[in-house]
Amino acid sequence: MGVITTTILIPIIGMLLILFVPERFGKVTKWLTVLFTGAAFLSSLSILNQFSKETFRFQMLEVANWIPNWGIQYKVGIDGISIWLVLLTTLLTLLAAIFSFYIEHRTKVYFAMILLLEAAMLGVFVSLDLILFYTFFEATLIPMAIMIYVWGGKNRNYAAIKFFIYTFSASIFMLLGMITLAKMHEKIAGHMSFDITAIQALVASGEFWQNTGTMQTLLFWAFTIALLVKCPMFPFHTWLPDAHTEAPTAGSVILAGVLLKMGTYGLLRFVLPIFPEATMANVPIIMWLAIIGIIYGAAVAAVQPDVKKLVAYSSVAHMGFVVFGIFSLNQAGMMGGVYQQLNHGISTGALFLLIGLIYERTHTRLFADYGGLKSQMPIFSALFLIVMLSSVGLPGMNGFIGEFLALYGGFMSAADGLYGMKIIMPLLAGTGVILAAAYLLHMFRQMFYGPLNPKLARLKDLKPWEVGLVGVFVVFIFWGGIYPNTFLKPMEKSVNATRMMVTNGPGARPVWSDDSHDIDNSGNLIEVNARNADGEPDTSQGIKIVKSADYYTDTNVPPRNAQEAR
Amino acid sequence: MEQDIFRNIWWVLALPVFGFLIQAFTGKIIIDSLGPKIGRRIMGALAVAPIAVGFALAAQITAELAKLPEESRLRILTLFEWITVGNLSIPFEVRVDALSMTMVLIITGIGSLIHLYATGYMAEEKDYARFFTYLNLFVGAMLILVLGNNLALLFVGWEGVGVCSYLLIGFWYKEKYNSFAANKAFIVNRIGDWGLTLGIFTLAYMASKTLGVAGNIEPRWLSYDVLLPNAQAIFAAFDPWMIITACLLLFIGAMGKSAQFPLYLWLPDAMAGPTPVSALIHAATMVTSGVFLLNRMSPFFAQAPTAGAVVAIIGAITALLGALIAFGQTDIKKVLAFSTVSQLGYMFIACGVGAYWVGLFHVATHAFFKALLFLGSGAVIHAMAHNQDMRNYGKLLKYIPITASTMLVGWLAIAGFPFMSGAFSKEEILITSFGSNLGWYGAPIGMIVGGVALVVAFLTAAYMSRMTFMTFFSGDERWKLIPAHAHGHDDHHHDDHGHDDHHEHHEDSHGFFYTDAEMAAIALRTPHEHHHDLDESHTPHEVPPSMWFPLVALAGLSIIGGGWLFFGVNLAEWLGSAGVVVHHHDHIESIPAFLQKTVSSWIFLAATACFIGGVVWGWLRYGKSLPANDGRDLSKWGWFQRSGSQQFGIDGALTDGFVGGGNVIGKASWAFDKSLVDGLVNGVAKLTGLIGRMLGSGQSGFVRGYAALMQVGVAALILYFIYQMVTLGGGN
Repeated sequence: MGVITTTILIPIIGMLLILFVPERFGKVTKWLTVLFTGAAFLSSLSILNQFSKETFRFQMLEVANWIPNWGIQYKVGIDGISIWLVLLTTLLTLLAAIFSFYIEHRTKVYFAMILLLEAAMLGVFVSLDLILFYTFFEATLIPMAIMIYVWGGKNRNYAAIKFFIYTFSASIFMLLGMITLAKMHEKIAGHMSFDITAIQALVASGEFWQNTGTMQTLLFWAFTIALLVKCPMFPFHTWLPDAHTEAPTAGSVILAGVLLKMGTYGLLRFVLPIFPEATMANVPIIMWLAIIGIIYGAAVAAVQPDVKKLVAYSSVAHMGFVVFGIFSLNQAGMMGGVYQQLNHGISTGALFLLIGLIYERTHTRLFADYGGLKSQMPIFSALFLIVMLSSVGLPGMNGFIGEFLALYGGFMSAADGLYGMKIIMPLLAGTGVILAAAYLLHMFRQMFYGPLNPKLARLKDLKPWEVGLVGVFVVFIFWGGIYPNTFLKPMEKSVNATRMMVTNGPGARPVWSDDSHDIDNSGNLIEVNARNADGEPDTSQGIKIVKSADYYTDTNVPPRNAQEAR
Repeated sequence: MEQDIFRNIWWVLALPVFGFLIQAFTGKIIIDSLGPKIGRRIMGALAVAPIAVGFALAAQITAELAKLPEESRLRILTLFEWITVGNLSIPFEVRVDALSMTMVLIITGIGSLIHLYATGYMAEEKDYARFFTYLNLFVGAMLILVLGNNLALLFVGWEGVGVCSYLLIGFWYKEKYNSFAANKAFIVNRIGDWGLTLGIFTLAYMASKTLGVAGNIEPRWLSYDVLLPNAQAIFAAFDPWMIITACLLLFIGAMGKSAQFPLYLWLPDAMAGPTPVSALIHAATMVTSGVFLLNRMSPFFAQAPTAGAVVAIIGAITALLGALIAFGQTDIKKVLAFSTVSQLGYMFIACGVGAYWVGLFHVATHAFFKALLFLGSGAVIHAMAHNQDMRNYGKLLKYIPITASTMLVGWLAIAGFPFMSGAFSKEEILITSFGSNLGWYGAPIGMIVGGVALVVAFLTAAYMSRMTFMTFFSGDERWKLIPAHAHGHDDHHHDDHGHDDHHEHHEDSHGFFYTDAEMAAIALRTPHEHHHDLDESHTPHEVPPSMWFPLVALAGLSIIGGGWLFFGVNLAEWLGSAGVVVHHHDHIESIPAFLQKTVSSWIFLAATACFIGGVVWGWLRYGKSLPANDGRDLSKWGWFQRSGSQQFGIDGALTDGFVGGGNVIGKASWAFDKSLVDGLVNGVAKLTGLIGRMLGSGQSGFVRGYAALMQVGVAALILYFIYQMVTLGGGN
């Protein structure tokens, strides 16, 4: 059994153990959860340790037959895009579990749900089989909905069911799409397969979509709508404010930190590599949705009277940047989009955690009940300030890098007029950084500035362990902003390969399951005929470039007079 | 050995950051444990030291740099790879050249004087360490802004100083007004930053298209050493409008940070911060970073005279508007704030007509006299029990002679007393404007902005004389007219501690709240803040040496600084060695030689006449006493001054317009969100629920509705997919 399967199994074992602990031993349940989420985190660190950033392909592959007749496998693996999401999942779950020591009501089921949720989320990010992915994807719904339903706020009933049915209905489309893909694979290769590497190999050679008419567009939307609901992207976002607001703190942290990323991850993992032509054709539509999300999410966030709702709507805006970056189909932009997923997980996760800390004390989320907290809780307000600024995208903190790169990439593609993008797009998306400052500063001012609300006069500052909990986030906020290469370098080749799977023509696309080519350090796709003992390409015969990185020349509109200038 | 000295630049950069960390993590502990008196002394010293040592190191580096031949006065030092993503590489690199070192000397030099001053000014402040935490961080960010060798690092510093400014404006956060002012400053700056970001992208796009196609160059598209030497080549490869757009986008950034019309709105409100902050951030350093940016990017701006014309016009509008509004202000700091707005406009006039180095010259001299004036106003405010209304001052020369005499120097310097620092840079601006043949659609922009600048020179002398005479002369000691009233001060304060007996003492198993005993102990420990109001019993006192020493030093610089920079340093040549375009639009040289001298002398005479006129006007109106139409009763004021006090309605219209409009849009979007988008979903769910009931499922409710919607949808889709698959099979 490989390290990935181990990581998924650890929380499941923990959950089973907890089910045997009687309800009255709440403390034992809590410590067991911390132990198992901690073990899962360590296990994911060992994945990182074994991870090589030299290849774009899936690593640490584990394959087993599941339903061989229908070509369904248990197939898991890690690449540069999923590695950080796996670590984000284990880290956030660990921190959410520690925070959940405040839970007193029906602890056993609560902690079992957290562990189940963790296993399902991990499964989503490592699955390379469509049905396996779908299983995990839907499996996350149940514990999350239960968490909202049992431990949520006043309106939890409505929120839980809306969350469940909304996202479940949408993903039905995706399941149908998956079955169609497997059937189409059968037509070409003679047997059904849900293995995305097998399907992608046929897509890359151009065989898969030959003579299929509008099928690609149809399936593109079946996948994309399901995943955009998850992101969530305007106009499919309305489940989010309710779910976020009503969920218990740990639920909100995980929901914002990890669950939303399943949507954008799905876009990167399935939509881009499998539907390249449809992706390129529909870039403008997705871009407009992202831009509307950025502006509209910010506008609605700015007028919320409830701090949790404000942060929830800010997620719509922030995830807009992620989608904007990914669909810029520019190397820098895609890196920014992928990186922004992590940053949003850290920043918004930390914001929900901080709101949870104050909610435990005051049991209110309304701005009207706060004011002047800065003098009463200086450490809390300092931490809140840092996290708030990271969400604003202040340089030196993680949020800036992602937004900057996403906008940069969008600008480059739009300036070249690629994929039907217009220069107005990055201009409008850029206003998102103004609006983010407006509503987040507004939030901070209402809670922390002004005279102290007399109702808060007895509040003590955070306890040391709570400071430590938020401190972990703060470390990543600065690490991600000051030395982002730690996180950017390992994902570079996988992101580049994903980009080339879309933008390169059939025959010149990288293939996951085929060893005869590679991406070199300059980003070019090169042919590899022989490999040395370490699996590295043998370059003694010289390098043959299949397709150059095309960072600057892949343009429909060459700059005016560029020839004369040289 | 030579290399070693340049490496010290890392220390210059690191020291304020260390200072920041020390203040942030140990400040409160040290002050609490050693007691306020000694603790604050120690923390104050620890705050001043990094900046002062940084200044010494920077001076040494600059001296070494000056020894090098002109063409090799450049060192680029790289620390690490910051962002690397295939087609874009941004290292953390600093650039030591004449321009950056000039700014570093201003920042650390004026900065350490202001830090020293602040140790005295803030001595009674409860959050002493928090103040210096922000202030040291500000210096660090400002140094990154000027030292970074690429536009991304400039942006880091740009936003970094913005956030420090936000924190310091809101330093006294309990006042609601201050927190609004802080937010306004940050958000208006962000509008500028939006332009700056897009300007950076545009330049990167042009650079990568022009230079990247060759493929053999590092993708450091934002680094100055890639951009600046290739400005000509990049310009040649694109339509001129591209470069104009790029320059104007950068200028939008400069407008935000340097408070140009219409983005000046935040600067007057920023006076809510403590006065040392106003001196350092909102006068001497941060607000001039726009001028720095234009100097740094001058090879690009020089290619786009149209952009220059826009810069000059905006600068002229700002200079005039700021000067006019200053007449309507009664708050001493507000007068200085609008004066800063006006003087910043002056700097952009110079940059716009192509004399970038003159803009920076004015940055330097303005840093001397405006920092002096602000610190002086702080000393006055300190002496006058924190009352900032000039109508309550008068005859203060008698009580606070050191402060007053240094401020008089500042007044003469800004008003343009011949051969003081302000006069030098101002006349340089006038000469280059009138001498410029910059045109725009045939209009002689140089002459127009030069004429405006001359009018503003007169206005500056006039409103500064108004301030000076109202404060230090004008016959009577007007605070003595305020009757002393018994203020029931302590009664108010007891209520603030919120002993509300209604507080629910539900069990506090987590220890979240203070117990009654702890609350009592806290109440004992917290001294009531005395503050006493300005009234007839008040006697102004001179400030302590830590506060007047910086005033004296700055007064010295205000007197000789201009001449020293002009003749001693030869600033034009010095900045020219850093790649700042010096002679591009210097068209005075294109007029016949015999006229050059005449023009210069005429401008000198005109500027001096403006100075004398303004001062005489001020003396006649305010020298003896406060005129009734500028007194406490606003209804007696003339139309012009009354509108000036309201900023001619610009601030109200724009700020309230945007806040109100934004609120309406937000509320409308939210209503839309709740009704239309969500309502549609819920409505469809209800409808299908209804259908479900009609079909006799017998179950009702909205949850069922969702489920039914799902079933119907799924069934339809399955049918459609089966159909598609069948036709697909047929097609092949």
